[in-house]
Amino acid sequence: MWLSIIFLLIGVLLGLLSDITIPEYYSNYLSIAILAAFDTLLGGIRAHLERVFNAQVFLTGFFFNITLAVLLTFIGAQLGVDLYLAAVFAFGWRLFQNIALIRRYLFDLSQKKRQAKLNK
Amino acid sequence: MKLNGKHVILSFVLFVFGYLIAVGYQHTSFFNDTEEITDEEWDRTFHYRQQLIDLEARNQTLQQDINDLRLDLMKMEENFSNEQQTLTEAVELKQTLQAYVGELNIEGEGIFLSLKDQNFVPSEENVNDYIVHDYHIQLVLNELYSAGAEAIAINGQRIYADSHVVCVGPVISVDGKSYPAPFEIEAIGNKDTLMNSLTLAQGVIDELVNDQIEVEYKQMNQIVMEHN
Repeated sequence: MWLSIIFLLIGVLLGLLSDITIPEYYSNYLSIAILAAFDTLLGGIRAHLERVFNAQVFLTGFFFNITLAVLLTFIGAQLGVDLYLAAVFAFGWRLFQNIALIRRYLFDLSQKKRQAKLNK
Repeated sequence: MKLNGKHVILSFVLFVFGYLIAVGYQHTSFFNDTEEITDEEWDRTFHYRQQLIDLEARNQTLQQDINDLRLDLMKMEENFSNEQQTLTEAVELKQTLQAYVGELNIEGEGIFLSLKDQNFVPSEENVNDYIVHDYHIQLVLNELYSAGAEAIAINGQRIYADSHVVCVGPVISVDGKSYPAPFEIEAIGNKDTLMNSLTLAQGVIDELVNDQIEVEYKQMNQIVMEHN
């Protein structure tokens, strides 16, 4: 668990230290990639709580979602249609759903614990 | 804590996620920094820009002035140099003229002539045929002048355009001053030319010798004539 947090911090530091400037034109891609990554992470947490977590699915899902979202944005930019809105909508929807499910599981978990305490 | 593949994968995913977040954050803050230009800043920028334009315009005007003044200066310098040249020429002319009229010492190469009365005069002959007359002197002078003599002096007295040489009994008067024989004539000019013209066959020297006058002549490398 510590390893994950350390790697997160290293990633953030590297991102802040590396002086990468992205043209205004590509800021859409970045935002959609971040959204996809966030969605996959939350999906992973939910799967973990549901005890159906699969590392391979998680890893491939992470990169596949990001690639697909960027690809969709690219095609949308080429066609002049804001296709990235579809990705934003889909990911946003899933994001809220995942958060809601996580919240419910955590709520259930704490209630079960309290019930167990009372039963003692 | 047990380290297994799950954790490594999670770490890797979180690393990429953190990186993306950080880059996105930096990107956003960068654009926010650059794009926020308030009206006040805009006005200030405009103001400074205007000032710069005014300054440049003034600079250009002043540069133009400098160029004009430089041109004036150049013209003035040219005039000065012309005046200087004129002045130099005038001074040279004045000095030449002064040399001609005897206000300055004059020196140069030339020839020296000495005309002497004959020492031996046979008793049955007229003594007038054996002495130097004014026309002999005049003959020499004319010959020297036509040969290009620049200055002539008789016994140290300069001869000018208005000088006169006359015979007064036993002496010869040059501009009112009397000189006895021998008469020493100095002439400044090209010494070879002068000598050649005097020693021409049937020339002046021959004529003087025919008139029983003792003539000595020699070329001089340096003759100095004092000013009056």
